[in-house]
Parts: sequence; structure tokens; C-alpha cells
Amino acid sequence: MEPKMDLKAMDARIKTIRSSAEELQALAAEFPALNRNTARILASVKMLEINLSDLADQGLLP
Amino acid sequence: MGVVPKKWGPYWNPVMETLPHDKIRRLQLEKFKKIFAWSHERSKFHRGLYEKAGIGPQDIRSLQDVRRVPTVEKSMMRDIQRKDPFPYGDALCVPLEEVSEFRQTSGTTGQPVYQPDTWQDWEWWAECWAYILWAQGYRPTDRVFLPFGYNVFVAFWAGHYAAEKIGAEVVPGGVLDTQARILKIQELHCTAMMATPTYVLGMADTARKMGIDPVSLGIRRITCAGEPGASIPATKRRMEEAWGAKVYDHAGATEIGAWCFECEAQSGGLHVNEACFLVEIQDVETGEYIEEPGRRGKMVITALDRQAQPCVRFDSKDIIEWAAEPCPCGRTFRLIRGGVIGRADDITKVKGVLLSPSAIEEVVRGLDGLGDEFEVIVEKDGDIDRITLKVEIVKGREGERSRIEGQLKDQLRLKTNLGYILEFHDYGKLPRYDVKAKRFKDLRKGH
Repeated sequence: MEPKMDLKAMDARIKTIRSSAEELQALAAEFPALNRNTARILASVKMLEINLSDLADQGLLP
Repeated sequence: MGVVPKKWGPYWNPVMETLPHDKIRRLQLEKFKKIFAWSHERSKFHRGLYEKAGIGPQDIRSLQDVRRVPTVEKSMMRDIQRKDPFPYGDALCVPLEEVSEFRQTSGTTGQPVYQPDTWQDWEWWAECWAYILWAQGYRPTDRVFLPFGYNVFVAFWAGHYAAEKIGAEVVPGGVLDTQARILKIQELHCTAMMATPTYVLGMADTARKMGIDPVSLGIRRITCAGEPGASIPATKRRMEEAWGAKVYDHAGATEIGAWCFECEAQSGGLHVNEACFLVEIQDVETGEYIEEPGRRGKMVITALDRQAQPCVRFDSKDIIEWAAEPCPCGRTFRLIRGGVIGRADDITKVKGVLLSPSAIEEVVRGLDGLGDEFEVIVEKDGDIDRITLKVEIVKGREGERSRIEGQLKDQLRLKTNLGYILEFHDYGKLPRYDVKAKRFKDLRKGH
């Protein structure tokens, strides 16, 4: 694995992005352009979680 | 100011792909619990299956417990579909309006099965393919040509989106015919492509007929999927020689996902993407689960994050075995030796001997002087099985027929333990297939 990657900091940012995107999606319930684009952002956030946060949440980071 | 090219490492996910295996297994268990609970809660079909078996999410505490969860077969999916919520039926786990993609299986084993995906599932498809392409050396500097139909079969759709995701440039060759595709590759200096082995060889043949040496086209890497071939050494060799390119295998399925891939090390196996899939191997005869390398069995697989129509302990009928040695690439994702060796429903008994069609392919394509195409016909002559192998001699090599025939007989006996009626045909006389081939025809009743 590449040295010097701050995985915990990355995980924290992923959680922040999810939280912000979910808030925006809720705010934009009547704004299709924002609502639907945010849904796509959340799908991408899920990929970030699959790639790192799922490990972090189980205490399995190297 | 010029752009400084980034120096990328060999792994799409350097954390997951080198994680110690005990941690991968712990992650798989936790993720299995979640997808099992998801399908139990949201799919009437899955819940019915689990209630009948007397198992629920609270019962899964170990990977051993996972084995108690009933498996799902393709035929079960056929039975519940074409009903409400239309057309997916009771296995749909999301509201219909969240389904953004429809695909279906190719129907080679029966009525097609429909596959719904949400946008998140579609991103997940591309993510799984990104692991594949990165492992096979694709990088943002590649220009990737996709010569497939872009239709209701999932085929290389996710390969297209994954190539975009990793930063490469994609040239969609959908509506072009084979000649036009070859000219487009030449025109644009494409560096990589994805296709079935049948089409890779077919394109090379077409290029030569156009007076173009496929090696001159500049394709340096080819990802194959859709049928066995790229893990059959003789077929891989033919493709690599034809194109002057490295050819890599990948196995996936519409109802499963893109679950395994060959890496640049080409060490004779395919890595299971163990971050995204839980693969179990089950002895076909005894039902025993196989952990040790070197024993073949059928694959039972779970896609750990697929939501619209989950794949939970799907009995794929693919025959695989774990490899004994780790891969020199450094990935801790386990290898399956030789890729998908065959299918439980393809392997058949002829004259009392178990026969896998891929063994015949290896012999035919391993022989210098024989063309790429062949056909196998199994029939009954009274009570006795008869197997005929039709082959083509390469143009200009007709004088070597006696030598070739001798070698063919010997190799077939050695590799398949059977004697064949051999038919030699002029080059170009046997059927050509466009995308996926059906070379093995069993005409016996009940087959």
C-alpha cells in the first residue's frame, strides 16, 4: 500500500460529503436539477464508501 | 504550461487490493449480513425462500452460517418475473421509479432473465469494471475502442463507463460494421479494446481480408469477456499473436456483476474481486464447500452491494477452483486457477467420460495449421455416443494434413480421453459467429 495516505482523514471527508449531499437533496426536494444531480452525487459517494469507509466503519483499516 | 502526467500505482484501490485476507473475510461477513438483511426485508421472493429455510438476518454470525442461506438459481428468477412490479416481479428491492437501467441475460440457457439496476447499482458496475481495467494496465492516456452493440445485453456497457471513470477516452463503435470498426481504430490510433474472443479473432480475420495487418493497428491491450477463450492458453495465444497485444480475461454475468479479472501479471488465473463479491465453491457431487486450492466445484456468489435485484448466494453453475499460489502482482484478492473452467451444465458425459467443451478448444487452437473455427457434434448411433469434430486447415497448409491429423488424434485422446470422428474442411467452410459462438452441439435426446 502507498505510504503516507491519511485514510482516516479521507474517511472523515467522505462522511462529510454524504452528510452535505443528503442535506442538499432534502432542501432541493422541489428543485429537480439539484435534487436529481445530488442523487447522482450520492451514488458516487456510495462508491467512496465501498472503497474505503466500509472498511473504516468495521475498524479494518490497515 | 504543460500537464505533468500523474504517476499512478498498480492498484485501482491500493487499500482493498492489498488488505490482509483475514480482514477481507471479516469485511465480507459484515457486508453479507447487510445485503442479506436488505433482501430479506425488501424482496418478497427472497424472504419467502429464507422463511421456508428457517433462516433470518439474526442467524448470520459467521461465514459458516452464510452457507445455510438458500441458493438462488436462474430458473427461479425466470419464474417470478414478467409480473408486478412489472416486469421484475417479487425480487425487486427498490421502488420501480428508482430503476434506471434495464438489461437482460442473453438467453443462451433459456428464457432471458431481466436485470434492473438503480443508478447506484450502475455506478457499482462501472466501479467493479474500474478494478478490472486498472489491473490490466488501462490508464487515462488510453483511447479505448468498444466494438459492441450497445443494446439490452449488459456486455461491455460497464466497461465503457469504467473506461471513462478511470480517465481514458472512449470511442463507441456501436453501429459500425466490422470493416468500419477496423478503419476507425486505424484512423484514431486506438490503444485498447474490449470484445468477446470470437469477435477478436473475427476482427483479425476481417482486417487481413482488407489487406490490413491487425498488429499494425496499434491496439496494445484487449479485454475479453462474454465467453471462455481468453483463459484458454491456445486461444489467448492466437489472439495475442493476431493483434500484437496483451489479451486479458474477465468473467462476469448480468445477474451477478463483474466479479473477476486477469491482471497484468497473467499468472494463469483470475482475481476474484473480494471487496465486492463473496465467492464460495461447492462440490458438484457432494455439496461440500471447498476452501483448499486444486479442487473444482461450482461457484455460489453474492454481490455485496447490488441493491435493485440483489444477487445473494446465486448458484452460477460456473466451475472454478482456487489457485494454490498468490499472484506476483501483490493483490491479496484470491486467484481462481485457469479462470472459469467450464459450466456444470456444459460438462457432459460422452461414452461414459466427462467432457468439457473448453478442453477441445484448447487442443484445436493449440495445433499449428488448424484454423480458429471448429464444431463438435455429439449424437447417438443406436445406444452408442458418437462425437464428431469438424476443423479447418489453414490455407496453404493442406499438404500437412496427415501430420496435423495425427497430432490432433493424439492430443484429443490425451486431453479428453475420447476418440472422435474427424472431419477436415477447407478454410472458411465452417460457420462463423459474430459475437458469441455455439460450437458444441449435443443432439442426443434430453440434452
